Amino acid sequence: MQEQQVIDHLFRHQYGKMVSILTRIFGFKNFELIEDAVQDTFAKATVQWRTKIPENPEAWFTTASKNRVIDLLRKIDADKNRIEKLNYSASAISFTNLFEKEEIQDSELRMIFTACHPELNANDQIAFALKTIGGFSTSEIAAALLIKPETVKKRLTRAKKTIVDRNIDFRFPSKDRLQERLYIVLEVIYLIFNEGFHSNHKKLLVRKELCGEGLRLTKMILSKQELRCGASYALFSLMCFHSSRLETKIDSDFNSINLKNQDRTKWYFPLINLGYNALEKAEDYLDFSAYHLEAAIAAEHVKAKTFEETNWEKILELYSQLQENDKNAVISLSMAIVFIQLQQPEKALEILEEVCPSILGQRSYLYYGVKAKYYQSTGDIGAAINSLNTAITKVANQVEKAYLIKKRDVLLTL
Amino acid sequence: MKDFMLIFIGKEYTDLGLSPEQMQERMGKWFAWSQKMEKQGIVKHGEALHPVVRQISGPNRTVTDRTAAELKEIVGGYYMIKAKDLDAACAIAQDFPDFDLGNTVEVREVMVFDNF
Repeated sequence: MQEQQVIDHLFRHQYGKMVSILTRIFGFKNFELIEDAVQDTFAKATVQWRTKIPENPEAWFTTASKNRVIDLLRKIDADKNRIEKLNYSASAISFTNLFEKEEIQDSELRMIFTACHPELNANDQIAFALKTIGGFSTSEIAAALLIKPETVKKRLTRAKKTIVDRNIDFRFPSKDRLQERLYIVLEVIYLIFNEGFHSNHKKLLVRKELCGEGLRLTKMILSKQELRCGASYALFSLMCFHSSRLETKIDSDFNSINLKNQDRTKWYFPLINLGYNALEKAEDYLDFSAYHLEAAIAAEHVKAKTFEETNWEKILELYSQLQENDKNAVISLSMAIVFIQLQQPEKALEILEEVCPSILGQRSYLYYGVKAKYYQSTGDIGAAINSLNTAITKVANQVEKAYLIKKRDVLLTL
Repeated sequence: MKDFMLIFIGKEYTDLGLSPEQMQERMGKWFAWSQKMEKQGIVKHGEALHPVVRQISGPNRTVTDRTAAELKEIVGGYYMIKAKDLDAACAIAQDFPDFDLGNTVEVREVMVFDNF
């Protein structure tokens, strides 16, 4: 007998597909019923596949979801009214067609646009997208975003309620609003990716999954002609560059490793190449976005064979452009670091003095970390230690804290 | 060689709130186990049971419909296997994938009747 394995995350991704198709047919009013029905199908697959995995697992799920539709129709107690409505909404496309590959993808994209609808609260968008398209469970979302499961539950409930209350349609935005809505979708995907990339979650697996989800969603966006644009390609490029060095960001003891000390030979080059390709494609379109600049900065970093070879002038120029579009404190801090690398500490100080650390909220420790770097570059070790001490008291994350303490202790021995 | 029945008792996956990812992982473990046993020619057959439970009990033959969620534990399925003795059968049961969920395997030898 042949050893058959199921591709990674098949169940999770199928969950998103099935929920999307069923929602397209039955609408959000029946969303809870849909979720339960899909969950049951998975329980069934889990048992049925124990001894024999179907030859085409994906097709199995498609057929299963078709059968679910029929079950659901019975359950929903299809009165005449209901059937007429269904026929109406599916009139342009026959029932069977809805289960064809292209239409399944179309349903998934509709789900993305619904999850990222501007009427939804930003936090709810992320949780809802991870759940409905990503197939993450409540506890998995909680673990990934480092929040309580109850908080996730609340966000999901609120998202569902908003969608039903505001009567949000399960469809693509109209042509004149498409670009604007697409930008919100990209923003949500970017946030999901960043949750993975910048998170200090102890499990690399969790971080990888969030980054992977970001990449997968962007790929899905790029699969549709109308959604291809400079921004979507640039975002994809940025995520490829970042993902290529995900494994080298943390050592076996969960200590973060900064860019300077990462093992560059372990960066994943196929992803870097994908990043370059996407960045090139982004230039074929007229629109220009912050993702273009961020991708270009990331490209400069992966381009340098050693930390010392980094083209800081180029990076500074890109940051300045970013700053022109969106003046924010995190970019200022990055610029300050670039000035320190360029041995222009006075410029770094100028920028730091303009930043008010409280604006960074939970991330205010970053400000003190950069300030310490500045003092260190001017040779004022005492002031650097003081700044690190402040940073240590402000940081919540244990991995970051350990990193800062280690840094301070090195200075203390000087 | 004697016949044994491995009876799987515990909670249903859906009632445990497993995510699709976790279900896939479970499925993979069960699959690996069944492949292993099949290769060794241990399994005679096995079935999984539907989680709907109807109990009939007592002299009045009282019928009660129970859902899996109401019951702490239900029999989820069984395997009929061949093994040298009870210890060997228990060794085979070590690979049962759901111990970490608090589920149980009951190992029972099939009674052989004397034919006089």
